[in-house]
Amino acid sequence: MDEFYIVPIVFLLPLSAVMVVMQTNPYTALVMRGILGAVSALVYALLGAADVSLTDALVGTMLSITLYAIAVRSSLSMRIGAIKLDKNDPLLVPIAKSLSKYFMRLEIVEFPDGDHLNSALEKGEIHCKFDRHETEGCKLLIRVPRLYEILTAAGIPNLSIVLLEKTGAGL
Amino acid sequence: MTVVLMLMLAVLLIPIYVGARDQDVWQRMLAFCSIATKTSIMILVIAVIRSDWAIGVVGVLILSLGNAALMLLAHILRRLNEL
Repeated sequence: MDEFYIVPIVFLLPLSAVMVVMQTNPYTALVMRGILGAVSALVYALLGAADVSLTDALVGTMLSITLYAIAVRSSLSMRIGAIKLDKNDPLLVPIAKSLSKYFMRLEIVEFPDGDHLNSALEKGEIHCKFDRHETEGCKLLIRVPRLYEILTAAGIPNLSIVLLEKTGAGL
Repeated sequence: MTVVLMLMLAVLLIPIYVGARDQDVWQRMLAFCSIATKTSIMILVIAVIRSDWAIGVVGVLILSLGNAALMLLAHILRRLNEL
């Protein structure tokens, strides 16, 4: 039993795998996946499989983390369409805050006129439309029911939130 | 040499503990960086113990390229805070 050191090192692999499974935030889960990749590369090298170790480090960790990070970043975002909307608008702060509880981002898409904005909403390019009337105040027309639930539960002042009827556009 | 490896394993448990605790994402990135470097140094030590230079070459490659994944992930995480 020369190589008794193998057993405690191999035990790191299930330990880090459990740590990945326990995460709720997708971004920290990605970091944990990187830790799991580093540990598994060590274990494969320890068991003598140098080729498997190199492949796991390059493809299994580097490529998959990068692709997953891009996928998570682009899917967990709410796209607001507006004709003119400043990034530092005070109304956006509570929206971004309520979305950040669900690890989501806010993305502003500006349009030159109302026609382009409405057609983008119908096609499903944006999730909601921001309207600012001088008399009626600010209004947010949301296409996705789950986003409507999240934002109404947050109770944002000076903003009326309306859920649009189904227009046939995909989520 | 195995004593050195056991000591390195004990040291490796410190950043794993830091990564497991509930903290912000940059603390976890630091733990990830630490673990990525420590594991590849351990691969190099194993290569020296066994005199297996195929594992040694892989250890050097993982040591140099493993941090590239960290850079890419850090770049994407940094851009998350921008609206």
